[in-house]
Amino acid sequence: MAFLRNRKFLDFLLQFAFLGTVIGLIVSAVVIGRENMAAQGLTGGFAFLEQATGWGISFSLVDYSIQDTYSHALKVGILNTLFLGVITLTLATIIGLTAASARLSSNKLLAKMGVSFVEIFRNIPLVLQALFWYAIMSNLPKAKQAISPFEGVFLSNRGAYFPGLNVTGGSAAIAIALFILAVSLAIWIAVARRTSRMQPSRRRMMWVGTVVAGALVSIAVLAAGRIPGTELLSIPYLKGLNFREGIRLTPELMAAIVAISLYGAAFIAEIFRAGLLSIRKGMGEAGAALGLRPYQVFFRIRLPLAIRAVLPTLTNQYVWLMKATTIGIAIGFNDFFMVVAVSINQSGQTLSLILILILGFWALNLSLSAVFNWINRRIALKGTQNR
Amino acid sequence: MSSLTQKMETIRNDYFSTRGNAVISSVCIALLLWIGWTLVDWGLLNAKFSADEGIDGCRAVSGACWAVIDARARLIFFGLYPYEEHWRSALACLAIILVTVLSCIPCFWTTRRLAFLWLAGFATFYVLMRGGVLGMTEVLETEWGGLALTLFIFSAVCIVGMPMAIVFALLRRSQYTVIATTMALVIDGIRSLPLLSIMFTAALVLTFVLPDWLQGDKLYRVIFGYSLFFACYQAEIIRGGMQSLPAGQEEAAKALGLNYFQRISRIVLPQAFRNALPPTINQFVVTFKETSLVTIVGFFDVLASGNAAFSSGEWLTTYVEVYFFVALIYFSFVFSLSRYGAYLETRLRVGQH
Amino acid sequence: MTQNETLAVRITDLNKYYGTFHALHDVNLSVKKGEKIVICGPSGSGKSTLIRCINRLEEHQQGSINVLGTELNDDLGNVDEIRREVGMVFQHFNLFPHLTVLENCVLAPMLVRKIGRDEAETIALEYLTKVKIPDQAQKFPGELSGGQQQRVAIARALCMKPEVMLFDEPTSALDPEMISEVLDVMTTLAREGMTMICVTHEMGFARQVADRVIFMAEGQVIEEADPETFFNNPQNERTRGFLSQILNH
Repeated sequence: MAFLRNRKFLDFLLQFAFLGTVIGLIVSAVVIGRENMAAQGLTGGFAFLEQATGWGISFSLVDYSIQDTYSHALKVGILNTLFLGVITLTLATIIGLTAASARLSSNKLLAKMGVSFVEIFRNIPLVLQALFWYAIMSNLPKAKQAISPFEGVFLSNRGAYFPGLNVTGGSAAIAIALFILAVSLAIWIAVARRTSRMQPSRRRMMWVGTVVAGALVSIAVLAAGRIPGTELLSIPYLKGLNFREGIRLTPELMAAIVAISLYGAAFIAEIFRAGLLSIRKGMGEAGAALGLRPYQVFFRIRLPLAIRAVLPTLTNQYVWLMKATTIGIAIGFNDFFMVVAVSINQSGQTLSLILILILGFWALNLSLSAVFNWINRRIALKGTQNR
Repeated sequence: MSSLTQKMETIRNDYFSTRGNAVISSVCIALLLWIGWTLVDWGLLNAKFSADEGIDGCRAVSGACWAVIDARARLIFFGLYPYEEHWRSALACLAIILVTVLSCIPCFWTTRRLAFLWLAGFATFYVLMRGGVLGMTEVLETEWGGLALTLFIFSAVCIVGMPMAIVFALLRRSQYTVIATTMALVIDGIRSLPLLSIMFTAALVLTFVLPDWLQGDKLYRVIFGYSLFFACYQAEIIRGGMQSLPAGQEEAAKALGLNYFQRISRIVLPQAFRNALPPTINQFVVTFKETSLVTIVGFFDVLASGNAAFSSGEWLTTYVEVYFFVALIYFSFVFSLSRYGAYLETRLRVGQH
Repeated sequence: MTQNETLAVRITDLNKYYGTFHALHDVNLSVKKGEKIVICGPSGSGKSTLIRCINRLEEHQQGSINVLGTELNDDLGNVDEIRREVGMVFQHFNLFPHLTVLENCVLAPMLVRKIGRDEAETIALEYLTKVKIPDQAQKFPGELSGGQQQRVAIARALCMKPEVMLFDEPTSALDPEMISEVLDVMTTLAREGMTMICVTHEMGFARQVADRVIFMAEGQVIEEADPETFFNNPQNERTRGFLSQILNH
């Protein structure tokens, strides 16, 4: 039995056994899955994607009706997830940064309030917070007694109504796409290698100019896409039991936005606090010694350095926040996960849809991580002698 | 007299040092007073605490309706567990809580003691809840609910997930590229999925792909799915701990003639865990919080029983009070665990100068 | 009695590569039982790599290494046997910080030689006394000075009762005032007849204790001689250059 003690043989045996087990598990899962599907009279595959769904979706950025196909429904789900993700990521970052600054301020009262905010929202499960806000949103006054904090904005139990634009769906899509393109181009200009040799002031002019140009072009497209026969601005007004016109954010969406933003903000606050604390005091002192005001020291010196310090951790947190959008199903918001879950329920195509779900989230996470890792590499401090 | 002036001095420096600070402090104090007064007024002064008069007692006052807690506390803690057997559920919860508290004491920090502690605690919990022996009536898992179910899922995930995490971490750092790369793909793949989708898959989809003899109760399938997720995250934490170990440690063990398992179990893992203690505690905290997701998959955990508490019968409008109470339960567990983690972190940092 | 049985270590035509980098170049070395070898040379010369190959901390690609009659090859049984009989002392001590000094010493005898705890502790205290720190047995490595830690490391290796002891720059990480306490222990060990292969820069120790001194550079053995000849009459140009550099401060 000497060969059992031979290193090369054992190496081979272990790797073979491991791979064999993994492949065996996958193969058996697929085989059994196929059998079960056949027993239920279902055919596998992705043909069902072209069938009409027969069920509705309460919030959608694009037009959707019950005659639309499953593939369209899934697209709506993905758009909803991205929509929710972008809004909550932005809000969470802004609120988190504010809370972090509060925690680090010299005013002890502000610091204590910052701590309370973080501890309260961090230590309660997200799903509980979402259910709570949803209960609140659903129990807002009826349309007739809607709360109106500003002219043209209404909060009721049917959702929040904001003034909107009467433009065709196509032009709205083009305008948004153009603006996102402009912002991405601006980010690229700000950090890419190709533009790094430019004068910093010239570079800043370029990317600020790109953003402004993008905004102007988007507005022009929107204006051009006005639906004939209507006003450009659509103000919600009460008619009968409900509001007409305007943009409606459903209670589900509002609850999701509030819950995820506050929960995410608590974590982002801690991340930024750690980042800001990791900057040597000497940086701030040098800034002050040069005559910079405190807010200039913060925005020009400490914050840029903090962002570089925490970007990897922040990326993880963003990926996590995107995944957190799945709690939409608890409150009825049709994010990607909920659409998949309902589709499985309605069509029975469990395996195919689970595969779509897994691939969808992998694609989402990989792209998000890739973008942020690229930004991280580009803005990283150069050289090895940093002290 | 001087201590009073000292105190005044401190207050002035902390809160009113500059004009800007004074303004901020005044605004904050005003805000806090307003919030505090509203809360006290609503939550205590005008609140109704006893459930004797039902919902009408609450309608008579303008404040909080804590009567719903008085009426429904048992539902929230024990779910649909039989009324006469609630004492068993309560004891079982205490057992798990005791185990968690004892795990925080350093004298328990050897593999053998920790394993024994958790297995004993879990076994106690299971015997108490399930019954069927020692004269206790049998209560099946489908009737378990409330806080007891939350604690059960939490401890089961930790007990199943931790050994899995160790195995994953060891495979991930294996010298064989095939094994290491496959494990990397599996771990990163599972980590990038939302926990809810894994629980959902485990609850509804796993029945499809498992052979008949492996079909388990939905509860155990979800526990397995959650443990897999836990294991992938914890594996990365353990791997981080192993990476921060100087290479010389394993070399010295090799030079002394220790074999692979002796090296890993006596030299590498004990030190890796010590290095990775704060992130591990954080992982436990997050795991406890995320058990709330089982509500969505159809389990009657403490959140679902809270939902049931106010959405049935007369208590429909008391959602704020019930959610506050359930949030308080979660907050106490999560906050104490994370405070302990922070304390541990400072203590370990001090010890390492 | 065959050649192999009187030889403690026999290295023949050893070649080792790190990727494309040729770390050891046709190295030949024979060490008789009871011999003390000192290997010196500039950094990167492969001296540490050489002794780490002897107990398989590094793997060689060509050539053969034979330790106490056992060939070092892919047979795991052989590797285990060699590691049992060869003790190693590292530059950075590598004591296990979570175990006390005593536990550090009894761990391997109990697990590998399957000795009972009481017997292992007796042996451990014996060797701790030999390295002159029996009173530190219950302390943790972090509580000891560098010199004390290295002496514990030597005791730990000796508790396995090895036939050959390898030393990889044992005093290079020590403060100057602690070097002599470690060298004293090594000298005593040498006088008692232990086969020793030491990589070190301590030339005084080499002159006193070594039977042979070997100079390595760029992965090759450049010169090999008894201390007298090596220090007073080096044959090779590079040896002379090296000696003038290190003997002159």
